[in-house]
Amino acid sequence: MKSRRLVAAALAAAASLLFTACSSGGDSADGPVTLKFQSLSDQPAAIAATNKIVDDWNKAHPDVKVEVVQAGWDGVYDKLITQFNAGSAPDIIHYEAAGVVPFAKDGYLADLTPYLSEQKKTDIPKGVLDSVTVDNQVIAYPTELQSYVVFANRALLQKAGVTIPAGDTMTWDQLREIAKATTRDGAYGLGWGLSSPTAAMVALAPGFGGKYFDGTGTDAKISVGQGEMALPQLVDAMAHQDNSILPVTLTQSGSKALAPFYAGQTAMTIQGSFQAANIAKDAPAGFDWVVLPPLAGPAGPAQAANPQTLSVNKDSAHVEQAAQFIEFFTNTENLAALNEADALIPATTSAREALTTKLGAQNGWKEILSSGQYLTSAPYLFVDKYAQWKDTVATPAYQKFLAKQIDAAGLSKELTDGWNSINR
Amino acid sequence: MRVLLRPAQYLALAAYILFLGFPLLWLISASVKSSGELNSLTVSLLPQQWHWDNYSDALDRQGLVHSAGNSLVVALVSTALVIVIALPASYVLARLKGKIRAAGVGWILVSQVFPVVLVILPLFLILRTIGLADSLAGLTLVHTTYTLPFALWMLQGYVSAIPVDLEEAGAMDGAGRWTVLRRIVFPLLMPGIVATAMFSFVSSWNEFFFALVLLQSTENYTLPITLNMFIGGEGKVSLGPLAAGAVLAAIPSIVFFTILRRRLTSGLMAGAVKG
Repeated sequence: MKSRRLVAAALAAAASLLFTACSSGGDSADGPVTLKFQSLSDQPAAIAATNKIVDDWNKAHPDVKVEVVQAGWDGVYDKLITQFNAGSAPDIIHYEAAGVVPFAKDGYLADLTPYLSEQKKTDIPKGVLDSVTVDNQVIAYPTELQSYVVFANRALLQKAGVTIPAGDTMTWDQLREIAKATTRDGAYGLGWGLSSPTAAMVALAPGFGGKYFDGTGTDAKISVGQGEMALPQLVDAMAHQDNSILPVTLTQSGSKALAPFYAGQTAMTIQGSFQAANIAKDAPAGFDWVVLPPLAGPAGPAQAANPQTLSVNKDSAHVEQAAQFIEFFTNTENLAALNEADALIPATTSAREALTTKLGAQNGWKEILSSGQYLTSAPYLFVDKYAQWKDTVATPAYQKFLAKQIDAAGLSKELTDGWNSINR
Repeated sequence: MRVLLRPAQYLALAAYILFLGFPLLWLISASVKSSGELNSLTVSLLPQQWHWDNYSDALDRQGLVHSAGNSLVVALVSTALVIVIALPASYVLARLKGKIRAAGVGWILVSQVFPVVLVILPLFLILRTIGLADSLAGLTLVHTTYTLPFALWMLQGYVSAIPVDLEEAGAMDGAGRWTVLRRIVFPLLMPGIVATAMFSFVSSWNEFFFALVLLQSTENYTLPITLNMFIGGEGKVSLGPLAAGAVLAAIPSIVFFTILRRRLTSGLMAGAVKG
């Protein structure tokens, strides 16, 4: 009883302070406008590119000064949710679409539709624009994207007598055949870091016609049919029938799966496209690698996009100026420079083309940038309980399936039942 | 048999030290390896090539030294505050009997019940109201408040271990209350104070979540926040610079512990003998 009284007293004290705090006034809007821009750029070159864009803006707009607040990716969701609830979130917010969509649904983000220029709107591929459109409102500008691509050791492919695919796309069946052909002399055809498989499975499902979710919010319904099961079953067949996937990589992160690729233990590896920069830096001297054309399933080469984005705090006193800054930030020249620095794919067609012109001759860039045109809307972004389903249901279920602890029917059942249980 | 016992003890001790120190050795080794070596299948404790650039990268790109200075200030001040508040409070808590003590103990236990995520929002609002939301002073206050209950619990255990008889013997010999505390209790409590100070310092030095949420200006960032920025989106980690930063981050803690280590044992028997 004594403890209960103490808890009640503590909560009452906290609540009274909370109300006092909530009743305090907002910031003054007098004087030149200053916008706080919380940036998550993490690579030195990307930080420099971001700062240059901001400096250029500040020089051209003395009445609207932008201040960069550098933050890290880890824990940023907790930081933002506290800031939004306390009314002290930055004016301009850098995050990924999967992170900002829930904030938009909760009403924390400004509708940028009125500020999005017609030119920009047509410059952003529809599928990518859809990934930042919530209830018919554009809640963020997409900036950078990544796709899953196949990196290959040219020497091992040639040694196996494989003709390196050179078309606009290559099929998953081609990948499987190449993996089988290059599984020889102690080397495996493919290494794929699938310790956290859900992201790859849902991102690549559109190529097989898979969507996973219909509807949005809490009304979303899961559907695990042929389109959703095709990729896990293909991986299972490659790993356990063809024996063409290095087994240990199935339990490793993507980055860890690069080590056997460098060592010639795997002829190919499926990675996020940004790894091209790391491979160029870390691969042993003389390591001859290529990026194969974008992968296409029966439904085409589509992949679900989860772009990095810039959005505006709805409570900002200067939404219009913040939106103007984002419009400037995402112009062709700036987006091309930023994505080059971050080794990512620009979210606008014009910036992608500019980068292709500049870097297309360099190893991997042409194929990676080309894969950007196939990025499409990701239904899972608009599903409220996706993160919970991913962590508590899907990832363990995929891991069990890849470890042969459950079969395809068991995987489908776990994915479906787990969702229905969470989303009750 | 007895002849063999001593070498065996030393051997066990050496093995234990190696076991404890191995992660630090590995960290130091990683901090001087190139990115290529860190991402290769070849695993070795000694780097194939010494790659010192990780240290300059770590120091150059994230303002590591500045944030280490912030961490040091916050950790030292909050440690001092914790000790100053906990020392008299723990004595009272240990020696008092009855309802006040029970209430004190209850408060300590209740304060440990709430998860950090639950208290962060009201805390943020309170600090914002008093103008300390994005400041090292506010963070120091939070670290002090957060560490104090456990420090109090720790110290009162040390006080309880000092026999009351010693204090009574001092009083019998004519020493006043203050003299008894200063000449008998305080020296005997020194190892406890040092241990509590170490605990408080390390808690503050390593604290991440409060600093992440409460600090918004880059110039106020503490070391864990800065180190966190070596971990990027899409699974990108600058492993070499991160390891180098972590090695540098460990140095102040090691220095602090080295300074206090001797005090941890020197006070054990001091004051216990009349004289």
